[in-house]
Formats: sequence, C-alpha cells, structure tokens
Amino acid sequence: MMTLFYLLGYLAVLGFICLAALKIRTYLKASPLHIRWELYPVPHEGPKKEAYGGSYMEEKNWWTHKRHVDHWEDIKAILVEVLCLHATYEHNPKLWIRTYPFHVGMYMLMGGTIILVCAVVLQLFGVDPEGGLMIFVANVINAVVLLGAFCIAGGGIALIIRRREDEGLKKYTTAEQYINLGSFVVFGVLTLCAWAFNPSYYQLARDFIYNLFTFNFQPLGSSWFVLNMLVGFFLMIAIPVTNMGHLIMKYFMYHDIRWGDEATIYSDKNKKIIDEMLQYQVTWSAPHIAGDGTPRNWVDVATTNPAAPKNDE
Amino acid sequence: MKDKLSLKDVSTVEGQMVSIDLKDLPELALDVKPMPWKPFTEEQKENTACILDDVCVLNIPKPKNPQEEEELVNKFLEGMRKLFSKENNWTCLPMLESSMENCVQCNSCSEACHLWEMSGKNEMYRPNYRSEIFRRIYHQYIKKEPFAKWRYGDIGLNWKTVARLGELAYRCNVCRRCAQTCPIGVDNGLIAREIRKLFSQELGIHPRELHEKGTMNQLKVGSSTGMTPEVVRENVEFIDEDYSEITGVGITTPFDVKGADIMLLHNAGEIMAWPENIAAFSLIFQEAGLSWTLSSKAVAYDGVNYGVFYDDAQLARIALDHMLAAKELGVKKVVVGECGHANKALTVLADRVIPYEYQVPRESCYVTLRDIILAGRLKLDPSRNDFPVTLHDPCNVVRLMGIVKPQRDILHKIAPKFREMPCHGVHNYCCGGGSGFAIMTRNNIDEWRGNISGRKKLWQIGEAFKECLGPETKKYICAPCSNCKGQIRELLEHNDLYSKNSFAYGGLVELIVNAMSNVQPGFIKWEGDE
Ligand code: SF4
Ligand code: SF4
Repeated sequence: MMTLFYLLGYLAVLGFICLAALKIRTYLKASPLHIRWELYPVPHEGPKKEAYGGSYMEEKNWWTHKRHVDHWEDIKAILVEVLCLHATYEHNPKLWIRTYPFHVGMYMLMGGTIILVCAVVLQLFGVDPEGGLMIFVANVINAVVLLGAFCIAGGGIALIIRRREDEGLKKYTTAEQYINLGSFVVFGVLTLCAWAFNPSYYQLARDFIYNLFTFNFQPLGSSWFVLNMLVGFFLMIAIPVTNMGHLIMKYFMYHDIRWGDEATIYSDKNKKIIDEMLQYQVTWSAPHIAGDGTPRNWVDVATTNPAAPKNDE
Repeated sequence: MKDKLSLKDVSTVEGQMVSIDLKDLPELALDVKPMPWKPFTEEQKENTACILDDVCVLNIPKPKNPQEEEELVNKFLEGMRKLFSKENNWTCLPMLESSMENCVQCNSCSEACHLWEMSGKNEMYRPNYRSEIFRRIYHQYIKKEPFAKWRYGDIGLNWKTVARLGELAYRCNVCRRCAQTCPIGVDNGLIAREIRKLFSQELGIHPRELHEKGTMNQLKVGSSTGMTPEVVRENVEFIDEDYSEITGVGITTPFDVKGADIMLLHNAGEIMAWPENIAAFSLIFQEAGLSWTLSSKAVAYDGVNYGVFYDDAQLARIALDHMLAAKELGVKKVVVGECGHANKALTVLADRVIPYEYQVPRESCYVTLRDIILAGRLKLDPSRNDFPVTLHDPCNVVRLMGIVKPQRDILHKIAPKFREMPCHGVHNYCCGGGSGFAIMTRNNIDEWRGNISGRKKLWQIGEAFKECLGPETKKYICAPCSNCKGQIRELLEHNDLYSKNSFAYGGLVELIVNAMSNVQPGFIKWEGDE
C-alpha cells in the first residue's frame, strides 16, 4: 500500500512537469509568430513611459533608434502582479480580499516545498538533520505550513461562498471550478489536521521527500499526512489541465502577447518567419477568400484582389 | 424576453432574446434623451435573424427549414475548426487559444466595459458573456473534451446559438479595455474579433458597411468612400482653393511626388466629411517646409482598412497596397493621418503580415506634428485658442499603440485651457463607434450608439467641461481620429448639444491651424459662427 502511495507521488510530480511542458509546448507551437497584439502600458518601455503607457512609437523616426528593452521593469511588473494580484486588487477588490489569502497560502506552501527539498538535499550531503540549521528550517516550515494552510482553507471557502452568492459570478462558475476550489479547501484542512495531530509536520514532510529521493518506501506514521498528500497529488495533476493552468500561462500571456511589441525591423528571425508563414495553405471558404476554390497560400490570398473585374466580364 | 439572462438562453429562447429597457440607462450630466428603439418590421422578423436584441448588424437570413438550420451550424463548426488551425489562423491562434483555456471567470473585466455599464449592466453585455458561449462550444464541439459538458458547462448548439453569437460579436467595440484589466491576460475583445473573422472568412457573413461598401469597394475603386483617383484629386484641388480663401494662405496639396520624404495617408472620409482636416494638414506641412506628398494611386489615398475589424485577408490586401504605393513613390516614411485604426493597421498589425522587404517605415501624424510644433516651425498664437479644450483618446492609437504624449505636448503648447477627460490616456473609453460602428446607421445601430456605446463618452465630455457646461462658453472636443469624429458628431447632433452646450468638435490639426498667426482667425467654427 505504501509503495502505491509513493508511486502516486512520483506520478504526480512527473505528471505535473509533463503536463505543464505540454501546455507550454502547445502554446509555442500554435504559431511560430502571431501578429502584434500589444496592450499599453508595456513595462519594458521603462519607468517613464510605463507611467503613462507610452511606447517607442512616440518617437520621431523610431525605426532609426536602437531598441531599448528594460527587462528589469518587465520582471518587476510580473512580480508585483503575481505576488500582489495587483490587477484583481485594482479592478475587483471584493474578490481580491478572498483570493489574495488563497493565493498567498499557495505561495507559502510552494515556497515551503522548495525549502524542504533544499533541506533534504543538504541532508543527503551529510548535514546533520538534528543540527541548528535544520531546527531553524523545521520551525520556519511548521509556521509557514500552518499559516499557508489556514489561508488556503479560509480563502477557498470565502471564494466558494462568493461564487455562490454573487449572481454574476454564479452564472459563470462551472462544476470544475467548484471541485478545484473544494479540493484546495480539503487540502488545506487536511494540512491543518496533519499539522495538529502530529508532533512535527516538518518531520513528516521531510521524511516523505527524503524517501522519495532515496526510493525508500517507508510508512510515514500519519494517516492525516498521507490523505493530505493524496489530495495534493490530485491538485498537481489538476493545475495544468484546468484553468488553474493560468499559473503557468500567465507568463506567456503577459510577455508574449500583452507586452509583445517587437517591431519586425528589430528581429531578423521574425523577418524570416513571416515569409515562411505566408506559405501556409489557406482553406477558408468565403468567396472573397477562396475565389475559384483551388488551394492557395497566404501570399496568393494577399495578392489577389477579389473586387477586381473578372476576365470574362 | 428575459431579465435573468443565462448563457444557455442563447440556444433556447424563441424570438428576440433581450431588450434593453431605456429606463435602465444611467443618468448623465449632459442633457441627453434616450432614443427609442424602432421595432423590427414583420418582414425583418420573418426573414432575418433579428433574435438577439433591439439591434441587427449582420442581417443573417433566417433558415427556412431544418436542413438550412443544420447547414448553418455545420458551416459554423467548419469555420471554427479552421479558426483553431495554425495554417488558417497563424495570425491570432496563440492569443485565441490562451483566451479560451485560461479564463478563471472572475468577472474583473465587467466593470471595465462601457457597454456593460451603460446598458444598465445588462448580462448580455458582460464582456465574458459571448466569450463564455464561444468557449463552451470550443470545449464541447471542437476539442470534444471528455466530460466537457460537466467540466465547462453545457451549451446547446443550434442555428439560434450561431446567429446570436455572430450578432454578439458585433456588440463590442473591440476597444480591449476589458483585456487591460484582466489579471490573467485573457482578451474578450480579441474573441469578439475572432468570431467576426470566422463569420466573414468562412460563412461570408459580414456587415455590408465593412465589407461590400468598405473593403471590397476600396479594393474595387480605390476608397471605401467610392472616390476614384480622379475624383480624389479634383476634390482635394477644390479643398485647396476653398481653404486658401478661408485661411488667406495659398495651399497646394502635392500628389505623387517621387522621392518625397513623406507619404501622408489620410482617411479618405475626411475629404468628403471634414475637408478642413485635409486643408489643415496641407497647410501645416507646407508651412513647416516638409517634403511630402499624397498618393493618387487606388487604395493608397485612403488609409481606411476595415479589415482590422473583421477579416485578416482584407486587412492584408489593403495594407499591402498601402506599402506598395509608398515603395513606388520611394518615400522615406508613411505618415498616417488622424485615423486611429489606420494607424494601428499599418504600423502594428501589418508589421508581421507584410514581408519585411515590402515594408516602408510608418509614423503617426501626432508624432510628426509634435516635432513641427516643438521645433518652432510654425508661428503660433495660443491665445487664439482661448477656449476650453478636451482630448478624446482613440483606443487604436493610445491603448493599442502607446502613442499618448505627443498629442498632449501639442495641446499644452497651443491650447491654454486644455483639460483631460476623466479616465484618459491608455485608460480611456471608446467613443462608441469603434470597430466599424461609426459608419453604420441601420436597424437601430445609431440608436445603440447614442443610447449605449457612446454614453460613456458623453459622460467623459460632460465631466471634462463640468464647470462650463451650457451655451455661454464655447468648447472644443479634440478627437484626432476620423471614425471617432463621426461618432462624436452623431452624439452631439442627436442631442442638439452644439447649441445647448456650445460644443465644437474636430481634430488636432484644426486646432493647430486655429492658432497659426499667419492664418486668418476663426478657422474653427461653432454653431452660429459665420
Ligand atoms: S476574461 Fe479575465 S477578467 Fe474576465 S472573467 Fe476571464 S479571467 Fe476574469
Ligand atoms: S473590447 Fe471593449 S467593448 Fe468589447 S467587451 Fe471589452 S471593454 Fe467591452
């Protein structure tokens, strides 16, 4: 039974990585290059321009200037958005009050997991698990887990209630979203139970990760923790295959679309790709595109005038 | 009719699904009266799918029998499959797919939409309403995901769903204000445009003002106005003559000057509706000593590109013609005149559609004009503009191109009483005529523009001038975009706001010329002026 539990753990981690990679790949493969669809403000224009939403196209003969991209501003903007949920705060404060603790709880548990993995690696390299450093880590993890689980459970419940009570939200909330939120609430509650009914959550979590690393499928001695992890495994698979995948895709939707303002003059790569894409075959059927119906590529389409007098007229 | 509209109603309700009660429209500081909806005629109801609300844009023929109903649905699905294929939709597929997959249904975008707010928060106008219907069809009928009905919510797909979705795509100004507020990066404006594209490129269904009278006319005779090259040249000559007299400065607009630095690309609608704009440009460029020209080549004397609003093929064809004309003249750059969508079409959208070797650099006229003004190339007397001025920001140039400051730099130089509207710059609201509506006037579309889509702009105008409303003070609404001007003209006319509030509207160049000290005073006219 315990072996199955550990196997599910491997599957969840592997599944998450593969599904997330697949999601990103699907996005990248959708088109080698899409049209520019930027939306201002664009942070990498620099703080001055970002403040009012300006772009390089405000400059006279902009194409003669060297392009300056302030990557740090992009990073700052995405960090503020991810860490503070800035857009929701600004445009939907009633939701923000509920979703912010929920997200912060998740970030805390994700951060806690990363710290734990590091602790296990140190342990594997011979650091004393009972030493001062590890005791400090243990205290941090136990505190973070408690707070994080509270935030997830509380925020999750508040979000479900809001989605039930607000007429607008209710219409758009799907069964899957309730299941997702419900699973997070259960996950949070189980985390709290495992925390409360065991001497140290840190120890359980560390042992579990250590065993995963060392392929040692020992019982962990806490049913609460096992249940807690099983729901966690489910969520790891659910995130990339549901709209919770925004966690992964937000990066692309901001960087590649909203802030994707690179003019072709600045990209030799794009100059080539445009020519390739124009060779794609077009099968749209409307008369002004299909014309005589023979398969054509985008170059043919763009260089045909559907309004020109026909030869036989 | 339904008050409590649900997503599923789109496939189940018989007849007109929604009617906006004019009593629900928010009150404004300006004295404006709602325009009653005209009922559809029995013939329209019989033959046309006027089944969404009080407006009908697409005039989709009502299927006569179950076979025709099925055919419409199948064609729609076929188009939808193409919309999600790389070959047919490489231009927008990543944006579309990510908007399909990642919406978390938080409704943060609703408050941002002027249509939702100004329809009295009618459910149908929630930016996510149409997107969510489209999304459910995508999961259930295109991707055919397991448990799709349960996971994403069920949606019936029949001819009514298709016809209503087509119409719903035209209850959006594609201003993308909602996208700006979305925490995820989902774009409801894009989804509206993609649905329009599907209808146009697969089913051949489009508003006639955009297609037959718009892009097709432009590709046929040279301009969506119907003007041929000869007529354009004649009209511009007349404009030169008239405005030489009015301004006291001899104006000569150059055509087809090979090797000029600049090819100026006007929206040809200006030649017919606002000749003062054409004259003002010519006067400014001439007085500033620029090397410039217009083209008299078919298509290239009209910067309009309605493909932006509904069809990628038409967009590419027209943009290519613009570029080729500029190449032929050998100019150093194209300066796009006061037309928002023309700027975005040629500078931003065409940038990854037209092969680079056919491209000519493009610049917005706001930038060129700012350079002229700040370089002191014109003799200006700002006291001639001693009246309150506010600025409308065309979405296409401002939110979607980030050109925000040049027009303000100019106004700060020439208009001492310039004041911003509330929610200006990249946070502006659409004039209500965006994405093609400014040129549509049938089937209650003008009522819709007055009652709903333009209402927020009227609120902004009222707020900008709140301390000087009334007929005593002359005021100027600077709207440097042809389509926006058309919409603002209608808003003012319908409510007689010219006389009630002494409003005049126009572009940026008119205001510049009005301040030029070598020009006879009074270039801008208010109602009652000689
Ligand atoms: S489009 Fe964005 S803001 Fe609107 S409901 Fe979806 S996720 Fe929320
Ligand atoms: S694009 Fe503009 S009009 Fe369309 S839904 Fe969004 S905010 Fe509303």
